[in-house]
Order: sequence, then structure tokens, then C-alpha cells
Amino acid sequence: MNNRLKVLRAMRNWSQAELADRLDVSRQAVNAIETGKYDPSLPLAFKLARLFEMPIEEIFDDGFEG
Amino acid sequence: MASKDRMMVTEPQEPRTPGFIWPAVICFGAIFLAGILAGFSKVAAEAGKATLAPWAGPLIAATLGIAGLFFYFRRHADWFRALSRRRRHYWTALGLAAVIGGIVGVWASFDQPANRGAIEMAFTGSLSANFAIGASLFWVIGLLVSMVIYHRSIDDHEERAWLWAGLAGWYAFIFPAPVWWVLHRAGLAPPADAMLLFVLSMVTNGVVYLWLKFR
Repeated sequence: MNNRLKVLRAMRNWSQAELADRLDVSRQAVNAIETGKYDPSLPLAFKLARLFEMPIEEIFDDGFEG
Repeated sequence: MASKDRMMVTEPQEPRTPGFIWPAVICFGAIFLAGILAGFSKVAAEAGKATLAPWAGPLIAATLGIAGLFFYFRRHADWFRALSRRRRHYWTALGLAAVIGGIVGVWASFDQPANRGAIEMAFTGSLSANFAIGASLFWVIGLLVSMVIYHRSIDDHEERAWLWAGLAGWYAFIFPAPVWWVLHRAGLAPPADAMLLFVLSMVTNGVVYLWLKFR
């Protein structure tokens, strides 16, 4: 699944560690999501959406074009 | 002067982040000291002089090691307090597991005669009943407590790594164990070695966990 996490993080000038602190996850978790090696759970996706103040589908893209 | 004063205003400092180097140095230093004291006692005994009581060396080394770790972690108390609840639990679980492992390791080395080789000491040599019972209790109770704390503190990503690693470790046991067992019954292999299968399972578990967590 593609995501805009790296761009959104860069727009706020946050490091991976800083974002990890805000989400209360490890830095490795943020890195794994950004590089597409791991898709977050629904609770973590909601947490991200609340943090960036945007809908989940504006952060994550599953490639489906209905 | 005024500008100089302004420049000298001290910024609030981030708490220092503790590392693994000093705790490792303290632990290895304590083990090294215990070895020196054991060697001193052996030489003194061979020369017919008074020796330390068998428990004195390990006790001195363990006391100094624990004191060293205490002062090291007290120095970083601000960093630890600043952590979130989840991270505090996480590091507590890992620290507890490390302390238990260290205690059992040091105790194992002093439970055996000094003239044993490394393989005999680690795998094949006999152990005293006191150590066997004590180490078993440490393993079961310590692992139980630290795992409960650990699983309540890990994030989604680490939980996933842990679950896949657990499954891989399980496969590393259920594939070879029955094969070894039937080969032995047919006289084609020595009896199945439970500890070898355990080590294989643990190594597989560790490799998969580290790969999924840190790749």
C-alpha cells in the first residue's frame, strides 16, 4: 500500500523519531510504514489521520480506482 | 556585554540518552573481576595460603556490578522519566530480562569447576541441584513477568515481527523434530536432542524477529 507519510512528515519538518514519539510507536515502525514494508493497523492509521488532520484515504492509497 | 550575556543564556538540555556500551562494560567488568578473584583463590590454595570463601568472589563482583548499573541508570533517570508509559514498560521488560540473564550466566559460570572447557561449561557439564532449581525458577518466573510487561508495551510493528518470528521458530521445531525421531527409531540417527531443537527454534525466531523489526 502506498502512503504519503514521508511527505507529510517532511512538510512539518519532523524527524522519524519525532513522529514516532507523537504516535507513541518505535522509530522502526515509522520507517517501515514510510518504506511500504509494513501496513499499519486500523487504530494506528486513525491515529495518523488525527495527527495530520486529514482522512485516512488522503494518507494511504491502496491503488483501487473504482 | 549585553549581547554576550544573551549569547550565554543556556538552552534547556535534552536528557542524555543512555546507551548499551557502559552497561555492557559494567557487566563484563564484574564478570572479569569475579574471574580474577577466582584465579586469586586458586593460586592461593595451590600455595597453601588462605583463600576467599567460594561465595565471596561472586558476591563482591555482583555487588560492584549492581552498584555500577544503579549509578549509571540513576544518572539517566531524567531520560527514563521523560519516556512514554509504553516505552518505560518496554525498557523495563528488556532490562529485567537482561538482569535475569546476567545473574543466571554468572551463577552458571561459578557453579562449575574452573578447569572445565567452554563447551563442557556451557552445554555438557553437570550442574548442582541448587543452580538447576534456582536457574529454572529465574527462567520461568522472570520470563513470565518480563514477557507480560513486554507484550503490553510493544507497538503494532513489533508485535507483527514477534508473531511471525514465533511462527518461524515453531516451524523450525515441528519440521525437524519428527524427522529426527523416526530416523532415530530406524537406527539412522542418534537420539533427538531437545536442547539442540530448542536452540534451532530460538535462533530462527531471533533472526526473523530482527529482520522484520530492523530491515
